[in-house]
Amino acid sequence: MSFNNTQYNSTFAEDDAGTVEMKAVSFYTPLIYVSILVISLTVFASHYRKKTVKELSELPSMFDESVARDLYFELKQMNDTGDAKVHEKVLKAALLNRGAEAIRRTLKLKESEPQVTMLYKNGCVGEEYWKRYQNEVKLVDLEFKDAIQEAERLQPGWPQLYVAVSKEICFNQALKRRFQAILLRKEVFSEQWQLKFDSTGKLIE
Amino acid sequence: MATYLPTLQYDSNSKLLDVPDASEDVEMNVKQINKLTQDLVAESNPNFTPQPREDSTAMIKKLFENGLKQLQQQKMADALKSVNLAVEMAQRKRAPWEAFAVQLQELQFMMKNRVDLCLVQGKFMDALQDLDFLQNTGLTTSDVFIRKTDALMKLKQYDQARAEVERGLSLDPTNAKLRVLHMENTRRLAEYNGDS
Amino acid sequence: MTQSYDYDEGSETWPFFVLAVLCVVLVPLTAMQLWELVSGGQKDQDLKDQLNVLGKMSEQYASSEILEFRAKNLAKKSKWLAKRNLFIIAGWTVVAYLVQYIGSNDAIQDAATLLFDPYTLLDISTSSTDREIRSAYRKLSVKFHPDKLTKDLSPEQRSVAEEQFVLITKAYKALTDEVTRENFLKYGHPDGPQATSHGIALPKFLVDSSASTLMVLGYIALLGVILPYFVSRWWSKTQSMTKKGIHVKSASYFSDRLFNFKPSQVVTLDLIVNWLSHAEEFKLMFPELGQETFETLLHDQVNRKHSGTLETAKLGLVAKSHVLLFGLLDIATTFRNLEISNMAIDTLKAIVQATPVSPYSQLLQLPNVNAKSLLEGSVDDIRTLGKLFTYDDAKIGKILGIDDNTKLQETLTIASAIPHLKLIRAEFKVPGESVVTPQSTPHISLKVLVRSAKHKFFGPNLIPDEMCQDEQDFDSLRDPFASILEQPRLPQTFAPHFPGKRSGCWCALVVLQKDGKVIQTPMLIDRLSFANLNKDFDKRTVKDLEKDFKPEDWVIGTIKIPFSQPAPAEKGDFFFRVIVKSTEYFGPDLDFTLAMAVREPSEVEEMEKEGAAYGSDSEDDDSDLEEDDESNDELDEEESDYTDIDTDTDDEETADDKAEKSK
Repeated sequence: MSFNNTQYNSTFAEDDAGTVEMKAVSFYTPLIYVSILVISLTVFASHYRKKTVKELSELPSMFDESVARDLYFELKQMNDTGDAKVHEKVLKAALLNRGAEAIRRTLKLKESEPQVTMLYKNGCVGEEYWKRYQNEVKLVDLEFKDAIQEAERLQPGWPQLYVAVSKEICFNQALKRRFQAILLRKEVFSEQWQLKFDSTGKLIE
Repeated sequence: MATYLPTLQYDSNSKLLDVPDASEDVEMNVKQINKLTQDLVAESNPNFTPQPREDSTAMIKKLFENGLKQLQQQKMADALKSVNLAVEMAQRKRAPWEAFAVQLQELQFMMKNRVDLCLVQGKFMDALQDLDFLQNTGLTTSDVFIRKTDALMKLKQYDQARAEVERGLSLDPTNAKLRVLHMENTRRLAEYNGDS
Repeated sequence: MTQSYDYDEGSETWPFFVLAVLCVVLVPLTAMQLWELVSGGQKDQDLKDQLNVLGKMSEQYASSEILEFRAKNLAKKSKWLAKRNLFIIAGWTVVAYLVQYIGSNDAIQDAATLLFDPYTLLDISTSSTDREIRSAYRKLSVKFHPDKLTKDLSPEQRSVAEEQFVLITKAYKALTDEVTRENFLKYGHPDGPQATSHGIALPKFLVDSSASTLMVLGYIALLGVILPYFVSRWWSKTQSMTKKGIHVKSASYFSDRLFNFKPSQVVTLDLIVNWLSHAEEFKLMFPELGQETFETLLHDQVNRKHSGTLETAKLGLVAKSHVLLFGLLDIATTFRNLEISNMAIDTLKAIVQATPVSPYSQLLQLPNVNAKSLLEGSVDDIRTLGKLFTYDDAKIGKILGIDDNTKLQETLTIASAIPHLKLIRAEFKVPGESVVTPQSTPHISLKVLVRSAKHKFFGPNLIPDEMCQDEQDFDSLRDPFASILEQPRLPQTFAPHFPGKRSGCWCALVVLQKDGKVIQTPMLIDRLSFANLNKDFDKRTVKDLEKDFKPEDWVIGTIKIPFSQPAPAEKGDFFFRVIVKSTEYFGPDLDFTLAMAVREPSEVEEMEKEGAAYGSDSEDDDSDLEEDDESNDELDEEESDYTDIDTDTDDEETADDKAEKSK
């Protein structure tokens, strides 16, 4: 191999020597070349990062709504702009509701992790869904921390109790929602099974 | 994705919120906040804890025991009314931050009795949905399965009844009552499918 | 040693290049086509083998619009097939031409003969000894030596012979003379290094100066535009579809619905249809229509309502809906939701049969039925096909509201040909083991009988064990699922309202009884023999079951469901609910509980020894339990964790289970 290489190189050098032609190159040329390269790469990188962040922020939430959070901010804004003097206890109530919802979401995301992972691994959902999930985990964490800060603002020293109480509220609200669903479920099942009941709830045969 | 809430109204006298013509989710959240507000107004301690309130516990218990008394006197309809009242009172009086464990036990206990009262009076659909509620809140004892199977068979939903009784037997394979129900349901299912 | 690049002026190389490229494309394509022909024929044969009264009736009852839609789809497919065939034929013609060209091209022939091979020249084998070489050389040199040639040869013949002699001498030297031999070994030629040429496999006319610009542009277009275009298109296409063949946006939407599903909500047909109507596929098919329209159209299908001008659109949606529902089913089972999984399959039935989910679906799916007289007329409450066949034909006509006798007979034919599964045996099986051992890999083995609703009922015990035995040979131990493939494919479904011929399948769901949730994605069963449906074992005429029943007359089908996780590490009984649901017909689907008894192998033998004692013990247990049965409804046993309510989802103790399973 080495024999071939030297042979090749020498021929090349010989050929070159015949046609060599000096060109005056400015001292700045390589500098300009390198700087253009570096600048374009930097621009591309920052642009790319911005785009990714934008894409992430534009991903729809995993949850259908964010009413608990929005209601709190709506009330707070109402209070701050002076449209209406909102009672402190109403703000607290809205914040407790927000905290409870944040806890529910944290638990729900944790609980769904194996399922979402499996969906993604099996190829049942696309890349985007997976990104949304990971995004949501971070967002919910921020949301809960933000709610705790608000609690400190509304009543200094409250956060620890606030978290404990929010947890209870979260569970109790879920219980209540299920309890309240009973009535509707009765109707839906009666219709699905085509059953008729008299006013006392007895089956009409 | 922010919710659009242009119609949010705040009544500074009653301290209640209202959002007319809102979606289900908004309505539910407004209800929850209003309930919290009312309970907060009634609460004088700013550092309230999940500790359940004694007076509520006593009041609910009294109403419920009233129902049991009527049951002993064979006044089924009245007993059911009292139990319903007790359940209703628990929903209204209890603040959402009172310990969940206590509230769950209280409600499940009353609901179990409500189920029996409904079954006795032939209100099978009411019983069935209460049983579903109990099951969904984590109560999966053989009793729940026995009653659910019974209610489903009375409503002629033999396929669903089979699913329930078999799950009940899976959790408690030696339960004699479930076994009897299973046999009876299998017989009825065969009749229903013209295989008898 | 000189190196030169030259173009393929003598057209020596490019035909080989083109030939290679063509073969790379044509061979797999042709193989695919042939395979399809063979297997397609097989499939048709399978379908013909299976009783096909349902398929025939399906065609007969289909409306002209449905038939038109099916024909159009068939035409589209055959057009594509025709194009492919044309390409294959054209391709092979070019190949034939190239081969012919190569054969007749002198330059190529010359290039081939110019290769120097001393062994062929001397007509000896490569393993010949020096003596053999010498004798071969002598023989040939006598023949070709210029001095020994006969005088009457023409000058041309003479020069050929002389050339040949030189070659023979060279060959001989290459094999015997040291220097020549070295040359031959090193450079492949006895005279030393030859000029090597590096050709570019392009015909001359393409590299002529006038065409060279075009050529360069062509290369740029190919590498810079066309290739990236196709790669990016392929990439975006794979990115836009999930592995299950639905659009990623549809999959995301379904997953969102499952994720946000409130367990207090009742799952209904309307709910699933609403979800379905949001599918991205529909938007892409009919950009001018909206989600509400899709929802209405799907409801029209279920309620057998004509959609007027949108009828073709409706059929398009319906034809697509079954892929979407399978996608939804996969997602629902992954989210472990049993209600939604069940309703997804029921929705598919409703769409295939154009019959809403109701207590009377089994009867309403039949043709010619008058729904009004069925629901209002009859005194007895009849809801199932099996029950229907307990009445005589005339009474059935009255119940279903069918006056015309031929129509009634057709309806009855279809009703009796709808397959019902009947469970004969079910067990968890570990290949090569008599029991399920801890952490083994079991599968669920089912023995079923495909029967008609008309057939007289008989207990599974009437089928002897010998008929339910699997083969125990080496192959079935290695791959227990291979034997399934020996069963015929399912025949065509009776689905006159569905735009497309279909044979459907059964979906097998496995549910953990402890928490009532699905544990694995569905298994689809598309092979079972329908031979039993031909039997007239009419429950109205068979009086003496013992006498008339011959087990050997019946075909027993096998279903094997892979189990997605290993058996638990600890011994004990674990209960699973197995649901085998038809995607085609309303009818009693299989739904039963199966226990997985995890035992140590040695322990079982011991237990068998003291089997009698064990049996009597368990009976005692029963009577004990009956007494304290009522007493366990007090609050004292409320230590169950409350995580299930945590989040308004129905995930009881999911985390615990997962932890248990992973142990």
